[in-house]
Formats: sequence, C-alpha cells, structure tokens
Amino acid sequence: MPPRSELTHGALLPDQPQPAAGETAEAVTRPRRWRGTLASYVIVVFFLLTLNFFLPRAMPGEPIAGLLDAGSATYVSEDTTRAAVERYYGLDRPLADQYADYVGGLARGDLGTSIHYNVPVSRVIGDRIGWTLLLVGTALAFATALGMLGGVLSGWRRGRPLDRGLLGVFLAIDTFPVFFVASAAAYVLSVKLGWFPLSGARTPFSDTYGPLRQVADVAYHLALPATVLALQFLTYQFLVMRSSMVGELGSDYLLLGRAKGLSDRVLKYRYAARNALLPSVTVAGLQMGFAVTAAIFVESVFAYPGLGRLMFESVGERDYPTMQGCFLVLTLIVISANLVADLAYRRLDPRISR
Amino acid sequence: MRREGRVFLWLGGAIVAMLLLVALLAPLISPFDPRAIAGPSLAAPSTAHWLGTNDAGQDILSQLIWGTRSSAVVAVLAAGLAVGLGVAVGATAGLLGGWADLLAMRVVDVFLAVPALPLLILVAALAGPSRSTVILVIGMTGWPPVARVVRSQTLTLAGRGYVAAARGFGSGWLYVIRRHLVPTLAPLAVANFVYWAATAVVLQAGLAFLGLVDPTEVSWGSVLNRALAHQGIYFSEVWLWWVLPAGLAVTVAAFGLALLGVGLEPRANPRWRRA
Repeated sequence: MPPRSELTHGALLPDQPQPAAGETAEAVTRPRRWRGTLASYVIVVFFLLTLNFFLPRAMPGEPIAGLLDAGSATYVSEDTTRAAVERYYGLDRPLADQYADYVGGLARGDLGTSIHYNVPVSRVIGDRIGWTLLLVGTALAFATALGMLGGVLSGWRRGRPLDRGLLGVFLAIDTFPVFFVASAAAYVLSVKLGWFPLSGARTPFSDTYGPLRQVADVAYHLALPATVLALQFLTYQFLVMRSSMVGELGSDYLLLGRAKGLSDRVLKYRYAARNALLPSVTVAGLQMGFAVTAAIFVESVFAYPGLGRLMFESVGERDYPTMQGCFLVLTLIVISANLVADLAYRRLDPRISR
Repeated sequence: MRREGRVFLWLGGAIVAMLLLVALLAPLISPFDPRAIAGPSLAAPSTAHWLGTNDAGQDILSQLIWGTRSSAVVAVLAAGLAVGLGVAVGATAGLLGGWADLLAMRVVDVFLAVPALPLLILVAALAGPSRSTVILVIGMTGWPPVARVVRSQTLTLAGRGYVAAARGFGSGWLYVIRRHLVPTLAPLAVANFVYWAATAVVLQAGLAFLGLVDPTEVSWGSVLNRALAHQGIYFSEVWLWWVLPAGLAVTVAAFGLALLGVGLEPRANPRWRRA
C-alpha cells in the first residue's frame, strides 16, 4: 500500500524486513538548521500548489473536459456555450494570470466552487475536516500506545519466543490491505455480530440527545473505523520502538541499574523505554502521511463523513474542484505534521537542541 | 537468521511463482470467459461455479484467475518503471555529483514529502483510469525513494579503494560501471523491484476499489469495486464468495512478495552483507 511505502521505503532499522533501507532513520536524525528545514518545507508547499494548478491543465483535453464532455451530467456540445463556460472559469486568459489568480484565491481561502454541492469547496471541506482529524488522531494515539508497548516488550526480550511471536503477529497484520480489512471488519463485526454501527459518524437525529449521550454516540461510531485505521500504523511503530529498545539493551546505565538491584520492571519501563522513546515520537508525526491516505479507504468503507470520503465521492461525481481541494488540504495536513515532527524532535533530543 | 531467510525466500518465491503460473495459464485454467454471462445472477458457490457468480452472472473464479494476469502486468511494469527510473537517476546523480546531484536530490526530497495516494487519485481521475495510466502513476511515485538509496550506494562505491585503484590503472568509467557498479546495485535493484511490485499490486487494487478502474478490465480491484458498489453487499452471504476471495487474492500476492523481499534482504542490504 502506498501508505506502507511512504514509511518503509528507506527505513534501515535493524531487523526491519523491507528492502531499500537507510533513509528514514537518517532523515529523522540528521540535524538540520531551523531555517533550512523551514525553507525546504516552503519549497514543498510551493511545489504542491503549482502541481495542483498544472495537473488538470497538463492532462489530455481541456481542464473542463470532465465537466462538458459526453458522459458527464452537464454535457455541452455547442462550441459557443463551451467557450462561455471556459470564459466563466477564466480559462481563456494567459496562463500566468490564471496562476496569479489561483494563488491569490488560495491566500484568501478560496478553493473554487464544488460542482456537485454548488457551494464553495472550502465550506464543504470545513464541514468534513473535523471528522478526519478525529478519526486519524484517535487511530494514531491508539496505534502509538499499543505499538510502543509491543515494541518495549519485544525489544526487551529480543530473540525470545515472546519477541518472535509479537514480531510475527505485527508483520502479519501489516500484509493485509487496509480496504480489505475495513470491508471484512464491516461484514463480520458490524453486520454479522452487530457490535458496531456499519456506517456514518453519528446516529441520525442524535442532536436531540443529551451532551453525554452524544459523545458516547460519536465514540461508538468511531470505534471500528479508528481500530481498522490504527492496525495500519501499528506495525511500523512497533518495529521502530523495538529496534530502538534493542539499541538500548547493552547500555552501561542498565548494567549499573541492575548492579544497584533495580527491578526488571523499573529498568524496562523507566530506564530503557524512556530512552528509546524518541524515534517513536517522530514516527508518530511522520505517520500522518500514511494516516490520511489510509483514511481515504477506511472512510469510504464506513461512510465516515471525513475528507477521505469526500475525495472518494468527488471522484465518482467527477467533481474536480472538490477533488483538488481535498488533495491540497490532505497534503498540507501531511506536510504540517511532518514539520511538527521535525521541530518536535529538535526540542526533545537534547543532543540536537543543545 | 540465515536459515530463516532461506525459508522466507522459498516460501515467497513459491507463492509468487504460483501466481505467475496462474497469470500465464489463465486462458487454459479459467473455467469460463470472465466477461461472459455464465450462469444465474448472484449464484452461491457450486460445482459449476466454485466461487459463485456476480450480479451480472459472470463466474467469479474466472474473473479472479484473469485478474491475476492484470495484477502481474501492472506489478512488473510499474515496479520496472519505478526501479528503472530510480536506478538511472540515483546512479547518475551519484556518479556525476555536483549540481546534477544536488538538483536530483532536491527533486527527490520534494517528491518524498508529497503523500502518494491523494496524488495517485487525482492523476488517475484527471487522466482517466486506464491500465497504462495506473502503471505510469505508480511508477512515477515509486522512483524517488529508489533513487535515493541507489545514489547513496553509488557514492559509497565511488569512494572505495578498489574503484580508485581501477581508475588509477586507467580504466574508464564504463568499465567501472560494468565491473563494479552493476554488481553492487543489482541486488538492491532486485529487492526494490520486489517491494514495488507488492506495492503496485495493492495500489492497483486500492485505486480500483475507490472506483478508479477501467470498467472493461478484469482485475482483482474491479471485482472488489463492483462487489462493494452492489447494494446490500454486506447484508447477504454474497460477501463471502465475492469480496473475500478477491481481498485474499490481493493479500496473498502482497504477502508472497513481502516474504520474497524479506528473504532477499540479506543479499540486498549492504549492512547485512558486511556482517
């Protein structure tokens, strides 16, 4: 899954099963200057905006072909009308002007008008973004906690049956494509067993409930999608924590602690785990990229009203402005999360923050 | 680890070889034409239709068998494109150094920062989701990480004593590439190829799952897409023989390729080879 690739291309952690390693760990630990970091992010964002602008124009056919060609709901055959529509969208003007308009519009938060909903794209996205952040945030927190715990246990007992067992389980989880897991969970847990609702984020008309019941209702609808999503990042978090933990094993401070007669528990959680924590924090931020992409599948299966679902729907409805808006916002979320991870790492690691 | 590595290699290799065989022999072993109406609509599995039929009465097993072919083609071509481009860019950047290297690596950085799936969806939706588009976009998102690893390998190689010695004895770059660079990069390229083949299989199915599929094509993804678009797919037993086998097919392919990748790791990973 692309998701997986985003995280694992690279990653030369010891015992990491993927090939092509070495890069993520290096990228994570490479000390770069603040300004350099920010500048590189600015370049990426600029690249994205430009890509978003040129993609529809670089494709075969006109940018509005999807809107006007045969097969779309708003098919127009007359040349004069087509030209009028083109003028309406400003497509008859020089490219440089169009680009300036586009960037200026973005600066004002203008993402164009949704063809399907006939309201500003920014409003449609604004309505949905909260659900995606809730879903991704919950899943990420859950996966990080569980992956870390597994990693600590596994790393502390490297090579023992527990380690092998956990490694096998986590790697097996990783092979299942997210859309298949989501569909299977919907079928088995929601439909056959009836434990969870099949779709949506809330019960219809739940705004008549009391506040407490509303929260419970949202949590109930969130549980299954968030769990399925969490399964997707569990393995990587586990592998990072495990290898980081293994790296601490031979340390002098553990030897000293043991000589002082500290219990295994204290050594494991208070000493080794705490020192091994750093890469996991960064990984949690980097996993946002993985998370929003996996969320597209999970939200689609569970009809969860977030951005991923919106992007999925707009593909079916050929609603290009909405699709592009989703692309831009999802990508910006990923990039900001990466930036936060980058900066947080600097603050957290005393060796870099000096 | 050495023995385990061999087990992974054989198991993964066996799974992949079996799937390739199915893909190759699809016309011979498939019981029906995957597009023909071969029976009643939504029939349960029977001796005639091992996995039942879909809503149009097409034989699901035949569709999955032919779908193997589609997946194999996409996997090989997309992975080939990603690795080919990655090796070309990475090795060139590593050998030339200077401005070319700097420029190539900045481009790689930018590409790595953009999440692949939303980009894939956007491009596939805009360009029309034909099979060649899918291959092209997967290949285009796959090359940057490959280029990066290949470049760093090339750089370490260029600094090795025996390369300097060969150069000192008057060998040209072509000789160094043929004699030293290719043997160093080959295992790395193979491992990356396997990894991207697995990614491509899952991505192709994922895009199809989202509706980005050529409707005339028979693939695992199109089976999944059609099944999940079916009203009430979750509320009948049909799920069990329509969605489940297709999902498992994707999983088994990804699993086989992943095992193969793990098995190849000791040969491909320079850190392990040294140990």
